[in-house]
Amino acid sequence: MINVQDIRDTARDMLTKGEVRAVIGYRRGSRGMLAEPAFITDPAQAGDLVWDPTCFHNLSLYLVEDRKFLTHVRKTANAPIAIVAKGCDARSIVVLLQEHYFKREDVYIIGVSCEGAGVVDERKLAPHLNGFQATNAAFDGDDFVFTTAEGEKCLPAREVMADRCLECRIPFPKEHNIVFGEDKTGRQLAEPFAALTRFETQGTAERWDFWSHHFDRCIRCFACRSVCPMCYCDECVVDSITFPVTTETTAEDKANRIRWIERSAVRSENITYLMTRAMHLAGRCTDCGECERACPVNVPIRLLNNKMEREAREQFGFEPGASIGGPSLVASFLDNDPGQFIR
Amino acid sequence: MSEQQDYEPRIVAFLCKWCSSAGSDLAGVSRIQYPANATPITVPCTGAISPMYILSAFNKGADGVLVSGCHIGDCHYIEGNYLARRKMHLIMQLIEFIGVEPNRFRMSWVSAAEGAKFAQVITDFVDDLQPLGPQDKLKKAERV
Amino acid sequence: MTKKRTGVFVCHCGTNIAATVDVAKVAREMAGENTVAYTQEYVYMCSEPGQESVVQAIKDNQLDSVVVTCCSPNLHEKTFRDNAQRAGINNFTCEIANIREQCSWVHNDKAKGTEKAIKISRSIVRRVNRNKPMDAIAVNVTRRAMVIGGGIAGIQAALDIANAGIEVTLVEKQATIGGRMLQLSETFPTLDCSQCVLSPKMVEVKRHPRVKLLTYSEVQEVTGSVGNFRVKILKKPTYVDPDKCKLCDECTVVCPVVVPNEYELNLTARRAIYIPYAQAIPASFTLDESACLGLNPIVCGKCKDVCEADAINYDMRPETITEEVGAIVVATGFDLYDQENMPEMGGGKVEDVLDGLQFERLCSASGATQGHVLRPSDHKEPKDVVFIQCVGSRDPAKHCAYCSKICCMYTAKHARLYKKHVPDGRAYVFYIDIRSGGKGYEEFVQRTMEDDDTLYLRGRVSRLYRHNGKIKVLGTDTLSGQNVEIDADMVVLALAMVPSKGTIDIAKTLKIGRDKDGFLAEAHPKLRPVESVTGGIYLAGAAQAPKDIPETVAQAGAAASKVIALLSQSTLSRSPLIAKVRRSHCTGCGMCVDACPYTAIRLEGGKAVVNEALCEGCGSCSATCLRAAIDVKNVTQLQIHEMIEACLA
Repeated sequence: MINVQDIRDTARDMLTKGEVRAVIGYRRGSRGMLAEPAFITDPAQAGDLVWDPTCFHNLSLYLVEDRKFLTHVRKTANAPIAIVAKGCDARSIVVLLQEHYFKREDVYIIGVSCEGAGVVDERKLAPHLNGFQATNAAFDGDDFVFTTAEGEKCLPAREVMADRCLECRIPFPKEHNIVFGEDKTGRQLAEPFAALTRFETQGTAERWDFWSHHFDRCIRCFACRSVCPMCYCDECVVDSITFPVTTETTAEDKANRIRWIERSAVRSENITYLMTRAMHLAGRCTDCGECERACPVNVPIRLLNNKMEREAREQFGFEPGASIGGPSLVASFLDNDPGQFIR
Repeated sequence: MSEQQDYEPRIVAFLCKWCSSAGSDLAGVSRIQYPANATPITVPCTGAISPMYILSAFNKGADGVLVSGCHIGDCHYIEGNYLARRKMHLIMQLIEFIGVEPNRFRMSWVSAAEGAKFAQVITDFVDDLQPLGPQDKLKKAERV
Repeated sequence: MTKKRTGVFVCHCGTNIAATVDVAKVAREMAGENTVAYTQEYVYMCSEPGQESVVQAIKDNQLDSVVVTCCSPNLHEKTFRDNAQRAGINNFTCEIANIREQCSWVHNDKAKGTEKAIKISRSIVRRVNRNKPMDAIAVNVTRRAMVIGGGIAGIQAALDIANAGIEVTLVEKQATIGGRMLQLSETFPTLDCSQCVLSPKMVEVKRHPRVKLLTYSEVQEVTGSVGNFRVKILKKPTYVDPDKCKLCDECTVVCPVVVPNEYELNLTARRAIYIPYAQAIPASFTLDESACLGLNPIVCGKCKDVCEADAINYDMRPETITEEVGAIVVATGFDLYDQENMPEMGGGKVEDVLDGLQFERLCSASGATQGHVLRPSDHKEPKDVVFIQCVGSRDPAKHCAYCSKICCMYTAKHARLYKKHVPDGRAYVFYIDIRSGGKGYEEFVQRTMEDDDTLYLRGRVSRLYRHNGKIKVLGTDTLSGQNVEIDADMVVLALAMVPSKGTIDIAKTLKIGRDKDGFLAEAHPKLRPVESVTGGIYLAGAAQAPKDIPETVAQAGAAASKVIALLSQSTLSRSPLIAKVRRSHCTGCGMCVDACPYTAIRLEGGKAVVNEALCEGCGSCSATCLRAAIDVKNVTQLQIHEMIEACLA
């Protein structure tokens, strides 16, 4: 079991010594039991850090924000930044490193093992709490224990854990500078890609019914994109809404934007957006599940990303976030890649 | 049924310049007849075909999209078709996954010497698209 | 951006286009395009008056870009781009819409054909709308050449290039140059001694001050492009210093290892240390590492002990040599189709069934039998010999579809040579038909046929097998309509010529194409027969297609003259249609760097940078980039997007 005090001590110590300029971690949020991201620069605040099953944010997003900010103010970092990272988050960091988004020495990874558990899915939890709000969540090695006004409530992990954690193959941050918690890789509560496998038993027509329903509902709020550490492009190729005008933007750039899709949130455009996003995340998505969690209309985005992840793994032997030095999925190939589909 | 027969699938065919476009030229030189449903867009290499092109063609109303290039090992640019094979595998899987008929996307290897094969690929593709009817799943709705 | 003024020129191509495409309608439709300022149709746009009208129209109408809707760009793209330039506009603002090969010739239905022609034309008009004027890129030329393959083709090419004052490196895989021609006895139709004609050229290569000869060497890696190739060559160790070797032959006497002699087509054996032929160049022995007991004085070391010249050095190591050259000639030659593929001809398992090259070695004075035609099994003179033509050739169902071209001639030669060596012998020749196009060839075959003891049988052999010490050959004579049965002492198969074994690898290494039969592909079957599809790489000899010696020599000379012409320029112009980075969108993720087949992209200051000298414009980078931050000039994603729109409008 991870003693949260270890994380706090590490953060305080590094900040005090000036070894890092900030620590990105989790602290108790303002809404019930939920943790929220914390950007700590003052050693005195290190005591605020928490680690519990509500720490679902993929904080590597803030490494991206940090670099964007530094670029914007044209400053270079004087020290690395420390980040608390779960297995999936650490793999995201590896992908970012693979894509040279920042250098390995710019980041100090405080790895935290999920120790065979994972994070809570709020949507699964809600029906169990009878309308009460939990003020605390903990993992006792087998079950989640929630504190509500009614008292403590013990729920089997299997029932309220996020799907991606149930299916997680590597709940341990292999890439780290320091790591807390035991590596319990192999303790899976569900088969990898279990939900995907269930979905794929359906025929073409059923699958289309399912997806057309969801594609109709997408409101293109781009929450999935905003929350995703891999969606770090300044200008999204499929979106002509958030076209950023930087000092380097020329009039020609403005005129020459490709309008792959239209602004209106209609099905055809939503599909093109979501499918492009899935293609662009192929080999890069580490299944942190943030897109699906952030989606206000519950589009099962993870399923699309999972599909790409499984194809990459089964057809090309590719594991996202496995190696900093390796090539990207779509920028490489093997001589024996499948080609039976080609006439 | 008569409506079915009147239906002419619209195909966008992305052809690599060195093999498949040259192969379609050979089909022409050999006067091999095939359906006029596919409009070719010649690109330098299949490796240059972004998955966006496929999605965009469907979005703009293509009933079928063909990607055709040099046989493995024969790429004019050495390995462009290897990269394409991987990308096109992914896009095809994704299209099928969301419930679009897999027959709407096709990839083929047609060399500069395979004029007859090119004609056959188009003929087969049109035959396979006919029963599917117009593609309206990914197509942008007409403005009202 | 001011609006483009595009001119669209619709060619009828006589009736080639106009018969199945309503050309007037195409012109009318194009006139409706926003950027089109002028349209015109003409019966033959590529004719002199047609071209003039294009030039005039550009000038008269202040056009800044041109679309010609006509035949394939492979035919007249250059013609019309030159015209554009003549009219004072940039040649890269001219594009071809192919409405002949890809439309009028393949669709009979005029309505559908016209509709498609309009789509094609419209997509090209949209593309041209965003074409940028561009200048060809000038690159310096390395004034050196390389020839791969040291047979007669390679030798001739190397000598021709060297005699023009250009340094040339000749790379040969085997221990000697000479190739297949050195294995031949006499050559048709003059029956002059093959080695006598070839060996002076071999000596000339060896002594030529501008020829660098690398034998026992293989090309491993080729980078760069026309004008500037960088070639890595692996020189295998021969373990014998050619400068010290006195050719005394003492080493082979003591060498305890006996292996089949591949230079004699396995008719004889050689030692692990050997010299391929007496005429070998370089004149030196070679120690075959794979056969040797261990390159170790403790294990054997007999050859080293006996070598008085101290030429043998077990410590030789493979050496990697890097050469920079501006042009390459590939002359990697042929092999014979494997007998194992021909079970009806014994599949290589029936004794005294030889292939053509083996028969050459039997006739050759330097061959296995010192020029006596003796059958391998018992060294007796064969009195009845059956020659079978077209073995594996002209058989699209099972073997090679093509005609191997030289077999009619060399079989006639074989029959003649046989009769010379064995005057009382009888020769039987099975043929499908005789193809003897060539100077003096028909007369040569006729003379052979007129010999009383040489019987030409028009028909195929169905089977052959050993029977009572003879080879029973079952066939038909289609002229008499009778089945023929011959008890032969020896059978010679004129096996199909196939590309030499390493052809696949060398084609991959050089990035040049192969045709459907595996031969190296020429850039154009009629107009560019000695150029490969890759600039600066030329083809010579049987690696490109089956051919005889004079044709090979002619092609080698042609390839050499192409090389000389190329290398006589101090700079070359390359296509400017290469990748360009949009720095504002590049995040430096490096995916393009990984995807580039030419290592033409690197990261510098967190952004991708394209090396213009290496980029070939394939676009793999652009399709891989997630941000559309890299594009091939004039084939940008924006252009393709608008072309897709045009196709579906």
